[in-house]
Amino acid sequence: MTPRQYFSLIDVQARMLLKADASKFKLGILWWFLEPLMWVSVFFVVFNLILDSGKKSGDFILFLTCGKFAFIWFSKTVIQASGSIVASQGLVGKINMPKSLWPMAAIQESLYRQSSVYLLLFLILIMFGQYPGFAWLWMIPIFLVMYLMIVACGLVGSCLVCIVRDFQKLIPLGMTFLLFTSGIFWDVRDIGSPEKTELLLTMNPLAFMIDAHRQVLMNDTAPDTLHLMAIALGSGAIIVLSIKFMRNKSKYLALKVLT
Amino acid sequence: MSAPDRKVMLELRDVSLSFQTSKGTFDHGVHHVLDQVSFKLYENETLGIIGRNGVGKTTMLRIMAEILAPTGGEIVKRPGKTASLLTIGLGHKLDLSGRDNAMLSAMLQGATKSEALAYLEQIKAFSELGDSFEEPVKTYSAGMKSRLGFTTALLTHVDILLVDEILSVGDAEFRKKAEKAMKERMAGDQTVVFVSHSDAQVKSLCDRAIWIDQGKICAQGDPEEVIAEYRASMRK
Repeated sequence: MTPRQYFSLIDVQARMLLKADASKFKLGILWWFLEPLMWVSVFFVVFNLILDSGKKSGDFILFLTCGKFAFIWFSKTVIQASGSIVASQGLVGKINMPKSLWPMAAIQESLYRQSSVYLLLFLILIMFGQYPGFAWLWMIPIFLVMYLMIVACGLVGSCLVCIVRDFQKLIPLGMTFLLFTSGIFWDVRDIGSPEKTELLLTMNPLAFMIDAHRQVLMNDTAPDTLHLMAIALGSGAIIVLSIKFMRNKSKYLALKVLT
Repeated sequence: MSAPDRKVMLELRDVSLSFQTSKGTFDHGVHHVLDQVSFKLYENETLGIIGRNGVGKTTMLRIMAEILAPTGGEIVKRPGKTASLLTIGLGHKLDLSGRDNAMLSAMLQGATKSEALAYLEQIKAFSELGDSFEEPVKTYSAGMKSRLGFTTALLTHVDILLVDEILSVGDAEFRKKAEKAMKERMAGDQTVVFVSHSDAQVKSLCDRAIWIDQGKICAQGDPEEVIAEYRASMRK
């Protein structure tokens, strides 16, 4: 299979997945936007109205929107990609394809979806008076690094699930853990001790990426470029290694999926 | 039997496949599907494989298609030759139309996007689905699904075609058409390995047959004789 064929197959599969998904529900593609918006509403009710008696300012909505929109992209995609090879069991037993095809199609599908979700995010920011500045251009590298991180985690996840099915139970749990530790509804910069903040941002790349979204979109501040590059490099290395693994162990993975 | 001057397309040498089924790490959890199977597949021939359910026929095809690797022995293919399974309904997505599914299946079988697009009208015509071709596959009857599946599967163009129980599709009318199309394929230059439970099909389509049971080859040779032996063993 030539690289061109590989990528066009990923593209067509992703489009078909979107089409199938949209035709399944009455509200169709509106769900792309409704789902993250509903999450933000839920978090706003719980963490502002209930826990904080409505003391937080309107900025809190933007704070939540930035964090949650980015987080949902990561968590939903990684979960989807992780289960994708096992979910295509029927196909795996019939054709000899690079196993990375299925997680990559799932990741591509959510990339297409997420592009419009980010447009909504920008729209919400503008509605709340955060006008775009030059700093917003930083969103391009941030978006790219987020994508690399998702590809890395999605590929690793899909291998793990193939080898030991039990990971399918653990990965959503891991996502909940990340939801609480990545500063979605609280600010990593408000922990109180700068060392702890630093430690968290280093240990949890997702926390750094979500904070970077807010720095750029809400504070017009550039993110820590070195840190961003380190995450990009790390993800790149993981991607190369997992593609290599999936290529060399293609038949082993097929056997694991089929038995 | 087979003339020695015929070119070997594919050879299985002492191929075994076993895997762990239970969670335990002891040997009783190991499942032996194939046990030292050896045979040769010659150019242009149609080789039938018969045997009861669960004796390793599909696994053998999967090894020949290089989807699975044998745990023992080796498989030697003539360099540059391709082998792949002919399968009905390659992962039909029920929410998508027949057209979209056909497009996906064609691409999964190795067609480029433009080739796949070009096939679509051909598929629509052969499958006789008419306007239903544009409807979601979830609205299809079982017969319609297999029409779509068989037609897209027919597009597979490889040197060694591995066929797993395919000719039982659709209504009588379509089945005739499908059989005719398959026969034309097999009678031509195509090298075929054909798994079937139908004695009549194996007799009429295959040049040679192999009977496997419990992962081993019990008999091989002339289809009539092999089938007779197989049937005799079942009467015991």
